[in-house]
Amino acid sequence: MDAALIYQLLFLIPLVTAAVIACFMRKKHSLAARLSVVSAAVFSGLGLYLIYAAERTDWSVSWLSLAMPGGRTFEIGFGVLFNDLSALMLLVLIIVGLLVQVFSLGYMKDDPSKARFFGGLSIFMFSMLGIVLADNLVMIFIFWELVGFSSYVLINHYFDKPTAVAASKKAFIVNRVGDFGFLLGIVFVYWQFGTFNLVELEAKAALSPGLLSTGMGLLLFCGVLGKSAQMPLHVWLPDAMEGPTPISALIHAATMVAAGIYFTARVYFLMTPEALNVVMWIGTITAVFAAIVAFGQNDIKKVLAFSTLSQLGYMVAALGLGGQAVAHGHGVEAGIAAGAAVAMFHLTTHAFFKALLFLNSGSIIHACHHEQDIYKMGGLSGKMKVTFATFTIGVLAIGGFPFLAGFFSKDTILHLAHENNTIVYYILLATAALTGLYMGRLYVVTFFGKARSDNAAHAKESGPAMLIPLLILAVLSCVGGYTAFYGHGFHDIVHAIPHATDSGFQTLMYITGTVFSIGGIILAWLIWSPRRDVDTLESGAPAVFKALGNRLYIDAFYDWYVEKVQDRVALILSFLDQLLISGLMVRGTAGIVGLFGIVSRSLHTGNLAGYVYWFAIGVLVLGAIAFGTLKI
Amino acid sequence: MTIGLNEFLVVSGLLFTIGFVGILVRRNTLIVFMCLEMMLNGVNLALVSFSRYNGTMDGNLLVFFIITVAAAEVAVGLAIIVALFRKRQTVYVQELNGLKN
Repeated sequence: MDAALIYQLLFLIPLVTAAVIACFMRKKHSLAARLSVVSAAVFSGLGLYLIYAAERTDWSVSWLSLAMPGGRTFEIGFGVLFNDLSALMLLVLIIVGLLVQVFSLGYMKDDPSKARFFGGLSIFMFSMLGIVLADNLVMIFIFWELVGFSSYVLINHYFDKPTAVAASKKAFIVNRVGDFGFLLGIVFVYWQFGTFNLVELEAKAALSPGLLSTGMGLLLFCGVLGKSAQMPLHVWLPDAMEGPTPISALIHAATMVAAGIYFTARVYFLMTPEALNVVMWIGTITAVFAAIVAFGQNDIKKVLAFSTLSQLGYMVAALGLGGQAVAHGHGVEAGIAAGAAVAMFHLTTHAFFKALLFLNSGSIIHACHHEQDIYKMGGLSGKMKVTFATFTIGVLAIGGFPFLAGFFSKDTILHLAHENNTIVYYILLATAALTGLYMGRLYVVTFFGKARSDNAAHAKESGPAMLIPLLILAVLSCVGGYTAFYGHGFHDIVHAIPHATDSGFQTLMYITGTVFSIGGIILAWLIWSPRRDVDTLESGAPAVFKALGNRLYIDAFYDWYVEKVQDRVALILSFLDQLLISGLMVRGTAGIVGLFGIVSRSLHTGNLAGYVYWFAIGVLVLGAIAFGTLKI
Repeated sequence: MTIGLNEFLVVSGLLFTIGFVGILVRRNTLIVFMCLEMMLNGVNLALVSFSRYNGTMDGNLLVFFIITVAAAEVAVGLAIIVALFRKRQTVYVQELNGLKN
């Protein structure tokens, strides 16, 4: 098959599915669900063909072409740049996407607005595909906003819950803040290079590196701050857990939040070492911050959300560490490419084990009748054996247990950190230890001890539609760390990943990996004994627990800032607007016209004789003008 | 005394003025309509007088046109008044102010 045809089909299948569901199947819930899953399956098949059997080609059509002064034209294309990087991201998207759709068949079985949910999933697949394949910055930005929209729609799925509505708005607005910088960055790039096309940009950046600047890289990274929920703009991701759990797995763990990492890896040639230095610190701080805050959460999905934040921080730190490699004498290109490759590797394994963990939590929540508090669960290990087993694999994979997926990718990041920046290395290592511990807490409290509520006591194992995706993801979480598993399609990335040659470091990694994952669970068992009904930290140090539960008051600070500072500025601006623009200019103009209207309306009496008087006056005036008595 | 152009024109002007005042002050549509006819005839008289005074036929020609048009106008106007009365049960202009609002 022709690659261009497949690209078009890939775009059209989810889009048409979403449109058909939105237009014709709003009430036909099970039909919509089946259509969505079938289209996702076809989509995945085509995607796999593209990744493994088709050539890596580019395809582009001109979409918008404007003549500009000076004989130049302003071109925006609609095109596909399909290289190893986008192939890997596409692989993640189709695997997790399809499994989540199948899982949703079970999870959303009794949902009254299933059709809307599956329509949202389809439009998300379309939007995410756009980010993955797009060959220019404008197109990426458009699809970037579209995934934001899909995320908004899906977080807001239970729109009768005020918290869900607030969360969806928060996600949208916080992303808008980041996207503003992103848009400025895109304009900056165009200003310097005169093109949006990634291939041309790469060539021009290599030809004249002087055009690059730190500001440009950081502005582009603003979009990543929003979408990948990095430190100042991380606040929306934990709230986004108000959406249905499959959404959290697909959008808020595996694909959309990772789009920022993917984007940075895709435009790595626009990054300077100085910009990457900032990126590295943002990622590192996010990683450790989220890992600490995760201890104060009792909601199973919130713990996983902070864990996602922490892992995204890891990936961002890896991107940044690539820039540090430059400072340590490696070539610019090779260093940054290594950072990007390592980040993408962790993105891929994280997508598998985090989607696994989220879908597991979905299975648990479904079994416990939508109970999300881990202190109302407990004792589920006996009742949900398959979920328990797959969750165990997920916990070990994220903890970095040797030979599971998370171990290898975390190992490469730590290796990169070890070589380039000692402080970052120790912070990330400590974060890995914290990861093992908070996942251990989640694991111990959820699955062991006795049931702490009726819902948990009556929990039953989920059906096959939910268990099969869990099993597949569990297998992927085991084998996802071996690059051989991905076949021969990803040379560019696999070869860019630096490998530790120092056997002492390797041994250290095996030891820390084992200690952090297994030791984390054992230590968690000792601290948060499954027999207890209250969190140990909550009873031992309530002030600390409260601060962590409130996410170290960053959200509260933003709320305060918006309410006390921004709203007041907005009030003043609104007053000026009312007075000057709305009052004087708009209402003023309308007022003058209206005044004429009032005057002429008063002449309109409805009295025939009155009109005749006016007519007579008119004749007299006309006569006077005709005779020259009245000069005008 | 000889009756010349001036006298005819004075009569014509009187007819026109009486008609115009009638339109202004009378409330009954029929009377207003009649006053309108009177104004037309005042104009006709002036045209005939001038025609006679100048010894040409132009004015007379115009008068024929006016009479024809006035006849048509009467036919239509009276029909409208009849239809109006059927609908509103009145022909007084002060009550026919539906256009005001």
